[in-house]
Amino acid sequence: MGRKLTNHPLYTIVFLSFVLFVVIPVAYTLGTALFTDGSFGTNIQLLNLDTFSLLAKSCIIAFFIALLSTFFGTILGFMLYKTNIKFRNIFKILLLIPLFISPYILAVAWKDFFFIFFNDTNLISSYIGVILVLTTIFTPLSMIITGSALSNIDAQLEESGFMITSFRMVILKIMLPLIKPALITSFVLVFIFSISEFSVPAFFGVKLFTTEIFTQFSAFYNHSLAILQSGLLIVICILLLFTEKQNIADAPFLSIGSKGTDNKLYNTKNRNILSLLFMFGWLSISVVFPFIILFVQSFKNGASRFIQAFELLLPTFANSIGLAFSAALIIVFIGFIAAYYSAYQSGTKTIKSFDWLLLIVFAIPSTILGISLIKFYNQPGLDIIYSSYAIILIALAGKFSFISSKLIGNAIRQIPNSLDEAAQIEGISSFTRLRKILIPLILPALFAAFIISFIFSLGELGTTIMVYPPGTEIMPIKVFTIMANAPQSLTSSMTLIVFSVTLLIISGFYFLMKPLIKNYGFAND
Amino acid sequence: MIDINNITLSYGDKPVLQDFALNFESNRLSCLLGGSGCGKTTILRLIAGIETPEKGTIVIDNKIVTKDGQILIPPHKRNIGFIFQDLALWPHFTVYKNIAFGLIERKEKNIKETVLKMLDFFGIQEQAEKYPHQLSGGQKQLVAISRSLVLKPKILLMDEPLANLDVKLKRKILEHIRNLKQSRTLGIDLTIIYVTHDHKEAFAIADKVVVMDEGKIEETGTVEQIKKSENRFVQYFLEY
Repeated sequence: MGRKLTNHPLYTIVFLSFVLFVVIPVAYTLGTALFTDGSFGTNIQLLNLDTFSLLAKSCIIAFFIALLSTFFGTILGFMLYKTNIKFRNIFKILLLIPLFISPYILAVAWKDFFFIFFNDTNLISSYIGVILVLTTIFTPLSMIITGSALSNIDAQLEESGFMITSFRMVILKIMLPLIKPALITSFVLVFIFSISEFSVPAFFGVKLFTTEIFTQFSAFYNHSLAILQSGLLIVICILLLFTEKQNIADAPFLSIGSKGTDNKLYNTKNRNILSLLFMFGWLSISVVFPFIILFVQSFKNGASRFIQAFELLLPTFANSIGLAFSAALIIVFIGFIAAYYSAYQSGTKTIKSFDWLLLIVFAIPSTILGISLIKFYNQPGLDIIYSSYAIILIALAGKFSFISSKLIGNAIRQIPNSLDEAAQIEGISSFTRLRKILIPLILPALFAAFIISFIFSLGELGTTIMVYPPGTEIMPIKVFTIMANAPQSLTSSMTLIVFSVTLLIISGFYFLMKPLIKNYGFAND
Repeated sequence: MIDINNITLSYGDKPVLQDFALNFESNRLSCLLGGSGCGKTTILRLIAGIETPEKGTIVIDNKIVTKDGQILIPPHKRNIGFIFQDLALWPHFTVYKNIAFGLIERKEKNIKETVLKMLDFFGIQEQAEKYPHQLSGGQKQLVAISRSLVLKPKILLMDEPLANLDVKLKRKILEHIRNLKQSRTLGIDLTIIYVTHDHKEAFAIADKVVVMDEGKIEETGTVEQIKKSENRFVQYFLEY
């Protein structure tokens, strides 16, 4: 299996395209900001005490969001993946909804909530508001990471623990240490997502590092400072990823299916009602209340605002869905190529470096990725990309290919090598093995990667708002640009529509995916 | 028939085989017997061509198939069948498709007839349309054996295929394996190399037994010769 890279033209094309379209623009922009637009020494002086104080504040906020999300995510993960709580399969799907809708939707809903009940939005338009909203958004991510890890624990390890100690001690001393890589992964990823999040602090009017970068870039046109600030954020994210790279590599991050380890489920017994209350409570806070509030706010003065919002958003539907669909195809293709060669050619340096490049670009905050791309492509000869949807596709592919490669990679690694080797011995060509053995076996993961990429692309704002060409009609951009000067009820109506469209698409995909997973049930728990 | 000459192989820093040499005669059933990690599975994988040694040569039927870190003849051109420890049945194919897949890809004729004959020989014709997860452990073993034999290999490599079966089923399948060598019904003439850590299993079927420890051969011979061996490791191994 140790063939040379030149034997893989497809891989080489994908790798070089990623470097050319995504990595070089980022490196070029950062390099230019540091060394060309003035000397390095002069530029570095732009970073003053205020910058570092704001960065520290953003880090503290992200720390709390990561801590709370991992804490609640682990509790939810345990209840849904390790107990026989009623409606667990329905909860597993419903609780994921916040992860798949744009963060600003929940921000709008909570602002409406405080407006309706307290006639004052100051409390929510604060650091606490940012922590509250982002915690509800990222807890489902922690839930699936820790839940996957918990369900992968071999039942015998827990049972042997019960021979010598109590249930509580088994959780504390056996289960939690065993899922340590997943806990750390959850914390690191949520931290990176939170520190990079732009739309929620921007909507609440809270000054954080990402909003400051956006202001410097878009309002003051101080590109050097914006990029230098971006560099600081990138360094923090990458340092965090590198420090915990072993744990992140070991965690069953977003895995679809399992190796079939014997997962032990616990009876909730007399705690059933309490557990259900907690589940319903969390579902209400993260999904039901926001939806009801948006609904009430949209229709409190009749349907006129809703109709107006619908008319405003109608032209964006086809564009947004088409763009997200194209982006998802590209993202899954890149993710598959990276994951496939990483699994089968893991010794090659170029392949390892592709994994790292995907990870590094993923760790770059959205606004910064957007700035880098726009600075690079806004020059003669490249304006065909700059002035078209291509720049958005490049941005989305750069942002989300890591997630798709991780998801597909985990699915590939769960397939025993012997399945491929058995076909190899029978003389089946590598292309046929790929087509008839590997792809059918990882089809649920490919489909899941497509859906996740589609939903993320549909709601992405941080990068898209930086790079969208003039005259572009895309849902999140339209909502975000209109909401600045629109009455609250129009904003709520538009958000409600985006929320409903996203939910409809998720439901549609779910029903499409259900028979597929059922057919391939052997590979899934 | 199969000559392994001065093979050296390491996994990372850990040497598995060093200057290892062994030969297997044709039309015989040889058992590689030894504890976990002694290198017996690695030898099967080297013969199959799915593992590449750093040094040494492997010769099959007077043809050099592997030489000094290079696979000269790829696995599928060695006319070998391999039954993996986990059986490696493709979970998305039915029993019929699992057995027929290699024939279809090789564009053989009379595929249906060949597969049904094989299913009939092993008494699993009722299972043809089932998926692997719907079969019992023993049925899975038989499907794995059928899948390998349907391509009429000259060499059959079996990597602890009976490790997880109960004694009764083990006996039944061992009986099948014993009969395979002379099977005129299937029209095959087989050299079988069978890997196991269970000496009873080896003694029940082997023409020749090779006892291994830490990548080295401790003893080779017929079942009777091994039973009478004065090698201390062999005596210790057979005691347990």
